[in-house]
Amino acid sequence: MKLIFALFLFLTISSASVVDEYLNTLTKEAKIENPSFSGFDLKRGEEIFTSKHIGKKGKEVSCVSCHGEDFSKTSKNFFTAKEIEPLSPKANPKRFSEVKTIEKWLRRNFNDVYNREGTTQEKGDVVTYIINK
Amino acid sequence: MKSLILLAALASVVLASSYDKKGVAAATDKLYVKECGACHFAYQPGLLPSNAWQKMMSNLENHFGSDASLAKEDFDSISKYLNKNSAEKFMNYKRSARIVNSLRVGEVADSISKTPYMIEKHKDIREDFIIQEEVKGIFNCTACHTTAQKGIYSEKDILIPNFGRWED
Repeated sequence: MKLIFALFLFLTISSASVVDEYLNTLTKEAKIENPSFSGFDLKRGEEIFTSKHIGKKGKEVSCVSCHGEDFSKTSKNFFTAKEIEPLSPKANPKRFSEVKTIEKWLRRNFNDVYNREGTTQEKGDVVTYIINK
Repeated sequence: MKSLILLAALASVVLASSYDKKGVAAATDKLYVKECGACHFAYQPGLLPSNAWQKMMSNLENHFGSDASLAKEDFDSISKYLNKNSAEKFMNYKRSARIVNSLRVGEVADSISKTPYMIEKHKDIREDFIIQEEVKGIFNCTACHTTAQKGIYSEKDILIPNFGRWED
């Protein structure tokens, strides 16, 4: 039991550091791209996540279409009905625990919803929104 | 002479398309199941011949209208797995053999659902069962085939949501 707890704690701490590290990297990039960069913003992130757009498939969707409104619950892929595990790292420690995976899903999902990749600012904003919600 | 006999024996096996196993070989590769199974059912590689898998993998940036692109190392590993376990290499499985034999010579299928065998097998199902929320489309094997994960697609294991068992 102690071991499980320790493991859980370790995973929680390490996943927190992975996403913090990722946001630090994005911050550095953003400062280079935009000298007047003033940080990532949760409110802007929420707008990015919840606003609807004509996506790659030609249908009007938002990130909510697949991930739902409650990040602590499982949701369903809008197009395939496949179950999606909770998005919140608080509910699902596997989330935001690997930079490669974070980047893969940001690339894919911006393309799916916005029909283009996200900017550094947008990626930082939306990640800030998700991990703090 | 010996090789001629062997060839004849081989040809007779192929022509008879005899299979000794039902269904299709289960999907076992962890990376494949994790990556491809993130958005949809992890279809068994034995549901399409290698040329069709290759065609599909060549355009993951626009995978049925979604971006399913992979990191280079994962792309390579999954491509290799699909190619090694594709339908024409597992003709001893009933479903793999049926799918391969339904394709015209030179025909490269765009998806599992578009193979002549799959079209034929699903043609009598009412449209509203297929497009309903719980199913969404023919692509969603597990919605009705309760044993699809194991590679078993027998009629007795079919349970259509909001309908029930299916009998031909």
